[in-house]
Amino acid sequence: MQTIIDIKDATYKYKGARNNSLMGVSMQVKKGETILLCGASGSGKTTLIRLINGLIPHYYNGELQGSICVKEKDVSKTPLYNLAGTVGTVFQNPRSQFFSVDTDGEIVFGPENIGIAPKEILKRKDNIIEQMKLNKLMGRNLFELSGGQKQRIACASVAALLPEIILLDEPSSNLDLQSISELGKITRKWKEQGKTVIISEHRLWYVKDFVDRVIYMKDGVIANEWAGERFKKLGEKEIRKLKLRPLLLNEKFSNILCFKSGQKSFKRMEETDSIILKDFYFSYKRKPYIFRKKKFTQSDGEHLNLCVQNLAIPKGKIIGVIGSNGMGKSTFLRCICGLEKDCTGVIKTDGMVYKGRARIPVSYMVMQDVNHQLFTDSVKEEVLLSMKEKDEERCYCILESLGLLEYKDTHPMALSGGQKQRVAIASAVAAGASLLLFDEPTSGLDYSHMEKVGDLLKQLAAMGKTVLVSTHDPELIERCCEYLLCVNNGKVEYV
Amino acid sequence: MNNKKLQAKDFITIGIFTALLFVIEFACGMLGFIHPYIVASYVILIPLLGAVPMMLFYTKIEKFGMITIMSVLIAIIMFVTGMGYLGAPLIIISGLVADIIAGMGRYKKSKNIMFSYGVFCFWICANYFPVVVTADSYRKNLLDGGYSKQYCDNLFRAINSKTISVLLALCFVFGCIGAFVGRAAVKKHFEKAGIA
Amino acid sequence: MTVRLDPRTKLYMIFVVSAVVMMSATNSLLWALRIVVTILPIAFLIMEKYYASALRFLILYVTALGITFTCLSEKSTGFFMAFLLGYCSIIVQFLPAMITAWYVLRTTKIDEFICVMQKMHMPDGITISLAVVMRFFPTIKEEYTSIRDAMKMREIMLGTGNVIKMVEYRIIPLMFSCVNIGDELSAAAITRGLGEKVKRTSVVELKMKVYDYLLVILFSVVLIVYVVFRNVK
Repeated sequence: MQTIIDIKDATYKYKGARNNSLMGVSMQVKKGETILLCGASGSGKTTLIRLINGLIPHYYNGELQGSICVKEKDVSKTPLYNLAGTVGTVFQNPRSQFFSVDTDGEIVFGPENIGIAPKEILKRKDNIIEQMKLNKLMGRNLFELSGGQKQRIACASVAALLPEIILLDEPSSNLDLQSISELGKITRKWKEQGKTVIISEHRLWYVKDFVDRVIYMKDGVIANEWAGERFKKLGEKEIRKLKLRPLLLNEKFSNILCFKSGQKSFKRMEETDSIILKDFYFSYKRKPYIFRKKKFTQSDGEHLNLCVQNLAIPKGKIIGVIGSNGMGKSTFLRCICGLEKDCTGVIKTDGMVYKGRARIPVSYMVMQDVNHQLFTDSVKEEVLLSMKEKDEERCYCILESLGLLEYKDTHPMALSGGQKQRVAIASAVAAGASLLLFDEPTSGLDYSHMEKVGDLLKQLAAMGKTVLVSTHDPELIERCCEYLLCVNNGKVEYV
Repeated sequence: MNNKKLQAKDFITIGIFTALLFVIEFACGMLGFIHPYIVASYVILIPLLGAVPMMLFYTKIEKFGMITIMSVLIAIIMFVTGMGYLGAPLIIISGLVADIIAGMGRYKKSKNIMFSYGVFCFWICANYFPVVVTADSYRKNLLDGGYSKQYCDNLFRAINSKTISVLLALCFVFGCIGAFVGRAAVKKHFEKAGIA
Repeated sequence: MTVRLDPRTKLYMIFVVSAVVMMSATNSLLWALRIVVTILPIAFLIMEKYYASALRFLILYVTALGITFTCLSEKSTGFFMAFLLGYCSIIVQFLPAMITAWYVLRTTKIDEFICVMQKMHMPDGITISLAVVMRFFPTIKEEYTSIRDAMKMREIMLGTGNVIKMVEYRIIPLMFSCVNIGDELSAAAITRGLGEKVKRTSVVELKMKVYDYLLVILFSVVLIVYVVFRNVK
């Protein structure tokens, strides 16, 4: 079979970076092959993808050695727009990769750019809508879609260019289990159509069944390679050793996460020391009141996006919050930490009752995109900002306990994702919050980083904090959650 | 990569920063609703606040045309939001001149960038243009339209054709000061964080 | 019934309304016309199912208009009256343009917009940049909302600290997010062929329908009347 991608001895260093991101990588891909790139974050997977789609050297600055040929064209000498019809890329972040505001416009965006006749474009669009079953998503505003839906539109938009090679750069990072298997179906279909597919991914369970070859990267080199069949048979131990996420979805969790059956393997709630949430009702859809904001009560019934009459949360424990996207997980967390003003719930803890704005200091949420909650120009300042009385001693103590002391003068934005998360946690601890909420803290993380987050949560629990973590990540739940709350249509129950 | 001409990604960057600048202008414009006098302080507020994104913008593209295109976009947006087309020539010319000044320093020399941003800030005066250029007839119209004389006096005390030169000068001065502030912010945050 | 206007008609509406708000109405005919060109976009907003914003605009406009007219009849003096009148007259003066801009921004797809700009032979650079501006407003809103939430959680609020810090904490994270999103957006757009030398095609079919022509004629009449009155005087 014909070789479609040929990378020879590629070495690459980003401008301003200390180390090479890739060191002497060579790789051939045959037409129609499906390849999985795995390895820890920072191992060079994304850089390799960028080499193939031409963003390196045309978009990112840096030093490149070696040659990359795609369909016998030298990528470094081919302008990007000539590659557009050959190589398509689905990126990691569904929020930032669309150009249009509406779904229809997004699908036809690529073909329009490369000057295909309108009739042909419309034919392609209809084909793709049919193939990917996107009917329900047409004519919608992209800003209103969920991450999974956005990612499907992104796939459709790439497919509309009819590229021979499709690259996916950690496409499942921000998706729930259902959307991930949806994505798996799309990729499999591409393979059946004879396209060459390269997937860079941490979550292996949804791709392992149909990849032809698996490439394992470590520190900028290809460290290992398996045929797809062989890789599938790797034992749990070997996978663990490679620091990869498991090949199989733990059935216990996949069932729970997909609401198939309620296996009761988690601790039941006992009436011990707990934080009580009372009367948390909230709805995004307002009944037609124009001037007067209405307080929500249980009587709003069907309209409610969140309906919690009385919920006890065990103190000093880690509680997983699960549920498909759009079921109200985020709403639940937002209401607890007082971000939704119209939710009038009450938090009771230690014999104290917190209402309204008083709820805010009790709890602290580490958002999915931590970038939004870092304000100052150094880690130290960030922590001090949260303290009512500035106490440097205590600040250093907190930083020390989270392993951040050596970064105390670094700009938070210069840190890695995991470190940023810890800075946010540090400021939460500094603020004295006793209830810590995490919104998808491990989305897009590789196995070892996920482990670290898990350990961190345990550490927080050991410090006496109560941790609520909303997640789609079965491995994280297995690792650290003692209790499991399931949010379904605004109703919150223990599993 | 070192192409001197603007490319698609540069246009996207220009669009983003124009949007940011306009959001800042709009936020200041909302303040103007509190009292007519605040309208006059646009020349101080917008150059200072706008300097933060602008100073980052200067480090992003470093090609001729970046500011000119931005000024054209601003002119279009101003027109669309009802600020009239009288200001358009002023906006675009100051954008072009700013571009040339910055270009002479290859978009790197801080002195050039400072003056360039100062000149660019002239666009803010376009906010007042419809009032100033048509001041007399506008005033007469207002009076004929039945507006109280006091209101008209209030409005025109702050803004008339003499003060426009003062406003332009203020724009320039605060633009230069803003450039310092903005540069400090860029140093403090973006350079330290490794962006820019 | 839904009437989807041709994007060119919408642009023409913007053009006329922006010109009209620059000229003051001095007699009842001009006032009537001005009200007509304000009510029309509101009507279109309702047709496109943006009921809430249409209602809000309508209430704001009618209130401001009402106050302006009732106060004008009496000889209004006093600080408060001048103040109130100042507000209302600004609203009455400029709101029509805002409504029209809002309507066009909300109902024009980026695709249609690019297509129209190409038809008018605008340079690609300006077209792309303007399209990005349009796409970026909702993004900025989204990001800013998250940042404000984060500030709320940490109890950083206006009035609790110095003003410079408050502004800094808002603008800087916003810029970080926007620059990041912008980078990813450009990468995604470029790999899908944006900026290609080939002429861009478009699946948008621009077709002026009867009501498009009617509207263009109506708005032209309004513009002519205004210009004539202005110059005759």
